[in-house]
Amino acid sequence: MAPQPALPTPRPAWPTGTAWVWGTAALLTLGKSTLGFAAAPGGPLPARPVFERNIRPILKAKCFQCHGEEEKPKGGVDLRLRRFLTAPHATEPVVVPGRPDTSRLLEVVRSGEMPKAGKALTPDQVAVIERWIRQGAPTARPEPQTVPAVVITEEERQHWAFQPIRRPGVPRVRSTRQVRTPVDRFLLAPLESERLGFAPPASPEALIRRVTFDLTGLPPTPEEVAAFVADPSDEAYERVVDRLLASTAYGERWARHWLDVAGYADSNGGAEADSERPWAWRYRDYVIRALNSDKPFDVFITEQLAGDELVAQPGAGLEGEDLDRVIATGFLRMAPDPTGDGPADADLARNQVIADTLQIVSSSLLGLTVQCAQCHDHRYDPIPQSDYYRLRAVFEPAFDWKQWKPPGQRVLSLMPAADRAAAERIETEAKQIDAEATRLHDELIEKFVQKQLTLIPEADREPVMAARKTPAAKRTPDHLALLRKHPTFQDHIILGEIDRPGADKVEEIRKRATAKRAEKPADPQVACLVEEPGRNLQTVLFHRGDHQQPRGGVSPGLLTLHGLGGLTIDIPSTNAATRTTGRRLELARRLTDRSNPLTARVLVNRVWLHHFGSGLVGTPGDFGALGERPTHPELLDWLADAFIASGWRLKPLHRLLVTSAAYRQGTVNPSAQRRDPDNRLLGRARLRRLDAESLRDGLLAVSGRLDPRPFGPPVPVAINPHGQCVVGRQKRDGNGDAVGVDALGSDEFRRTVYVQVRRSTPVGVLETFDAPVVNPNCEVRALSTVAPQSLMFLNDAFILERSKDLAERLLREKPEDPTGRLVRLWLLLFSRPPSADELRRTEAYLVRQAIHLAPPSGGPVDPKAPPKPSPEAQALASLCQVLMGSNEFLYVD
Amino acid sequence: MNPPGSQSLGCCSRRHFLGAGTFGLGSTALAWMLQQDGLLAAPARPELEPQRYDLLPKPGHHPAQARAMISILMIGGPSQMDLFDPKPLLKEWEGRSFPGELKFDNAGQASSKVMPGLWEFQRHGQSGTELSSLLPHLAGVVDELCIIRSMRTGVNNHGQSLHALTNGRITHGAPVLGSWLGYGLGNESQDLPAFLTLTHPSGLPLLAEHNWSNGWLPSLYQGTVVRPTEPRLLNLDPPAHLRGLPQERQLELLRELNRGHRERHPGEHDLDARISSYELAARMQTAAKEATDIRSESPATLRLYGIDNDLTRDYGTRCLIARRLVERGVRFVQIINNGQSWDHHSNLYKALPEVCVRSDQPVAALVRDLKGRGLLDSTLVHWGGEMGRLPVIQNDGPKDKVGRDHNTYGFTMWLAGGGIRGGMTFGETDEWGHHAVKDIVSHHDYHATLLHLFGLDHQRLVYRRAGRELSLTDGKPARVVREILA
Repeated sequence: MAPQPALPTPRPAWPTGTAWVWGTAALLTLGKSTLGFAAAPGGPLPARPVFERNIRPILKAKCFQCHGEEEKPKGGVDLRLRRFLTAPHATEPVVVPGRPDTSRLLEVVRSGEMPKAGKALTPDQVAVIERWIRQGAPTARPEPQTVPAVVITEEERQHWAFQPIRRPGVPRVRSTRQVRTPVDRFLLAPLESERLGFAPPASPEALIRRVTFDLTGLPPTPEEVAAFVADPSDEAYERVVDRLLASTAYGERWARHWLDVAGYADSNGGAEADSERPWAWRYRDYVIRALNSDKPFDVFITEQLAGDELVAQPGAGLEGEDLDRVIATGFLRMAPDPTGDGPADADLARNQVIADTLQIVSSSLLGLTVQCAQCHDHRYDPIPQSDYYRLRAVFEPAFDWKQWKPPGQRVLSLMPAADRAAAERIETEAKQIDAEATRLHDELIEKFVQKQLTLIPEADREPVMAARKTPAAKRTPDHLALLRKHPTFQDHIILGEIDRPGADKVEEIRKRATAKRAEKPADPQVACLVEEPGRNLQTVLFHRGDHQQPRGGVSPGLLTLHGLGGLTIDIPSTNAATRTTGRRLELARRLTDRSNPLTARVLVNRVWLHHFGSGLVGTPGDFGALGERPTHPELLDWLADAFIASGWRLKPLHRLLVTSAAYRQGTVNPSAQRRDPDNRLLGRARLRRLDAESLRDGLLAVSGRLDPRPFGPPVPVAINPHGQCVVGRQKRDGNGDAVGVDALGSDEFRRTVYVQVRRSTPVGVLETFDAPVVNPNCEVRALSTVAPQSLMFLNDAFILERSKDLAERLLREKPEDPTGRLVRLWLLLFSRPPSADELRRTEAYLVRQAIHLAPPSGGPVDPKAPPKPSPEAQALASLCQVLMGSNEFLYVD
Repeated sequence: MNPPGSQSLGCCSRRHFLGAGTFGLGSTALAWMLQQDGLLAAPARPELEPQRYDLLPKPGHHPAQARAMISILMIGGPSQMDLFDPKPLLKEWEGRSFPGELKFDNAGQASSKVMPGLWEFQRHGQSGTELSSLLPHLAGVVDELCIIRSMRTGVNNHGQSLHALTNGRITHGAPVLGSWLGYGLGNESQDLPAFLTLTHPSGLPLLAEHNWSNGWLPSLYQGTVVRPTEPRLLNLDPPAHLRGLPQERQLELLRELNRGHRERHPGEHDLDARISSYELAARMQTAAKEATDIRSESPATLRLYGIDNDLTRDYGTRCLIARRLVERGVRFVQIINNGQSWDHHSNLYKALPEVCVRSDQPVAALVRDLKGRGLLDSTLVHWGGEMGRLPVIQNDGPKDKVGRDHNTYGFTMWLAGGGIRGGMTFGETDEWGHHAVKDIVSHHDYHATLLHLFGLDHQRLVYRRAGRELSLTDGKPARVVREILA
């Protein structure tokens, strides 16, 4: 049989055959260039380009910033409407319809004279402009008489993601025996039109390993495998799924996915200090509990966006549901935040925190990249700059950058009243000690200054002291001249560098204050966002995103594109029924309203991504013009609709997806592989590498070390003498310098989701396997295959210790049965017994390895040395290490 | 060019195969074989590629002059008027009050008393370039150097300025130059990482790992630390009991198991990549050990680098290792000092000669040795810190106590080789050596120029993240300083 040609992907499911598609595809090409190398042409030029579809998107991306968005367009050239282009211009017309040769526009983009900033137009873009002018520069329809404040064209409105979610009919398919759920029909229909079908089902061993890692991030135990292999019926599979969904491990696994997009970290980041964020973990625990209890996702979203507005009195004494709601607002406190670490420019840092928070909200819930619109209208999506600030206005009263609370102050204390009184007493005493230190510090500086005074001419002494005592802002030119002449009288004097013993004394006193404060009773706290009543700061648009260039005020609202049919959705500035402005609550209501086209699509796409290894939309954080199109748009809508209909519950969605025939197929399907090598049609299961957490947790589990205790403050991390970050407690010398790592006992073996996330020092083992970089959040993880990963498996202490643990476990469980040990080893790691060949080969390996590892006989024996593992045990450990690093463990079928 | 042949198949993603498939199997196989032979660099990534990354050699935007770079980072602020930038006016004004505005870091020790350069300058080489007497060895290779006297970052302190010069921003979190080069060009060595950092035996530098951070680029582009003592690379040494034959047996068994697994998973090229990454790891264990082991070098070479001398042994060893790494196809090597050991707020008179004497001979030897081996043309050498110093006294008092405070408004660094014009100085500070005034080179200009030498356009070397195109020059004005190109 002649090989069949591959499918004409890469864009199989896009609408085809219209000029509109070309326009979008060209833009995609332009923006997607991974390395920025010359982009491939997007396809054939449209035969009959029109302004709205083909020309305006190019001008919007390249020219509008100077020629349309500014109050006064540069050089008087405004490119927003076709009639402006052809209007007579001071020097020469920008566009002369029918005459490319005399059209200035074409000349400047072709020569590269324009755009002044950024990349030149591609040859294809120039060519389409030329064709358009040659054909008389047509528009699709008459242009509006006035330029509306917000220009969103009909073409932009038609973008697939902004259309209402409609439940499509379930397609008919021929091979109904391959259908287990409606999901399968949506997948089979396009497969069948390519004369393909699903792969044969995965083996029970492969399936239970897949679904257990998928739902819990852990491998199945040999007992669980054996039970399922003995009865692999549909009912038994559903029981397995229900058991996994009911386990705490489910929440721990799926919380991690949400924490990626929320940008979870236990440190503030954004500055060198990367100070600790001591109470963030309550939010992490909230997410785990919410998933485990299958909290409806609309409620989950609402609590995270506006939990404080759901609570009558968000103060001390909160408990139960109300406490949870306040903890949930930790979501809005996840952005990197250096504002407590003395940033160089405090106002800039505050506004950056708000911008990062909006980025997290929009990429996680809206599936759009709104941050571009902070400085100018979005280049590719219909998001005008004013929309960005309307969205920001929703959050403004809660963040209030003019009355900012740094991280340390935005906590809610859960401390009992008696403890509080005691703490206040201690604080008063500590403050007195602080004052003592400050007094001494100032005295010593003054003493220094007095001594300096004797070194300068007598006539200057009094005036220079007068200048020194005048506040900086009020100094006269004479003052300044004097201080320049005698710089040692300027303000910034570092005591430690002029009087070391004195500085030490001050430090001693400060240490006493610290020791005093350590006597305070524990103060359990919640890091949260609680809006204060009466805050109604006017949000203004920042010209070019610069907070020092405020422009007109805007009122809160959703993005214009959310208002189907051209309506804008305002959010009331205040709400009489809530204690606060109620803006975020209203936003949450709007986002979770079933008429919102994005939220449910974005969420089900993420769930799909984690079950199937790739989203129906390949860019889960960007459903806009630069994002990918869904491979199965009807399926996406059907799932979004079903998700909403089920009351926004995840567990039924998981059940629906993992019981589908599509999910249960094997990884091998030669004809699908040939025709669809990218597996966009899902004619086979994707082989997937374990992510960083599943790898570490899986190794802990198989080696019998995993400590499954859930929740609580993060397990600390520390830098070891090799400069690597490991799980453990930092050992420090008298100067506070790191000198080593103390072990933590069984805490060291807790699940990875409980390990401290320090933005500046990720744990080595996790980082090597592509742990997320949350800056501010992580929409999709990278996936690397590099030698340091292999070196880790060969030589890293963590791996060597787990190999030893696993070998000891095997020897303990099967002391008299070497073959049984190997069977057990295979079952633990691969969820299957070894083949006869593998057994034979491995036994031979163990024998040879043990001979080599045996100590030379006859040497002196040190009776005090700790007993060394026997050569057999060492050989077994070396085998465990090999299997842990093998692809069969590292990948899930 | 010597791409990692055994990785090629694995690194051809499904999409690469799809793209090639339209030309029929023959051309796929041909492309693969060409990669094996190092005749074809990896194809530019197709547009909608899922996020996968590799270190295969990649073509740049235009032909490159430089193939590798050795950056000798002298953190703290080497004093330009005492080393590279003679200012006779200071001598005239010695002890008098500086007439302009100064920005001090520590007012408590500040003075406005002008302090001339403490060491004599002399002209050297055919170019007649002036250098102070603290750099006698560098004087011997001065005709290879382009000394830029007009560097300016303009930010206030060590950390910010260092970030500016390493990652183009004033905060951490973004990838440094070495990571960008690995991302843009891959590596030419089959057996070694693309980006290595040689740290100082007295400790980590200011900002520690941020100096070799991949930022938001995938971790494969991170710098790998070559430690100042054995074991020089982490995880490179097998545990004692598995060294040699036992680990070879482990790898042999692993290969068999992985091969069996691969056969059960036709079409899964990631598995090939994983298998070859073990091969690479095994090779690295030998190659990196070999590359960092200088015992095979001749006594003459060891002497040239000053390895026979206690004072110069450390820098000598690290400079020599750097040459060995570049010789073996490593893209970017960083040699870093400890802390901020060039930060001479006081004690300049004694401390500056001490740091100079430890590095002068080794650094000059590196330039000379690269030249002698024909490597200098393709290897860019950089020497410099993140700031310079003020023309006035800090810590006024006895001569052996005085120092100079910070100055990021005008300072000196030098480049050599890799397409740089030798035997020249470029740019000027004002007559005080305070502010760069002529042909100012910002950190963005510096980066744009280096990328240019590597065949990369700083505007086009971008990484897409969260809907934005990020670059080393951060979208800021940056120009390729063509005047210093050979």
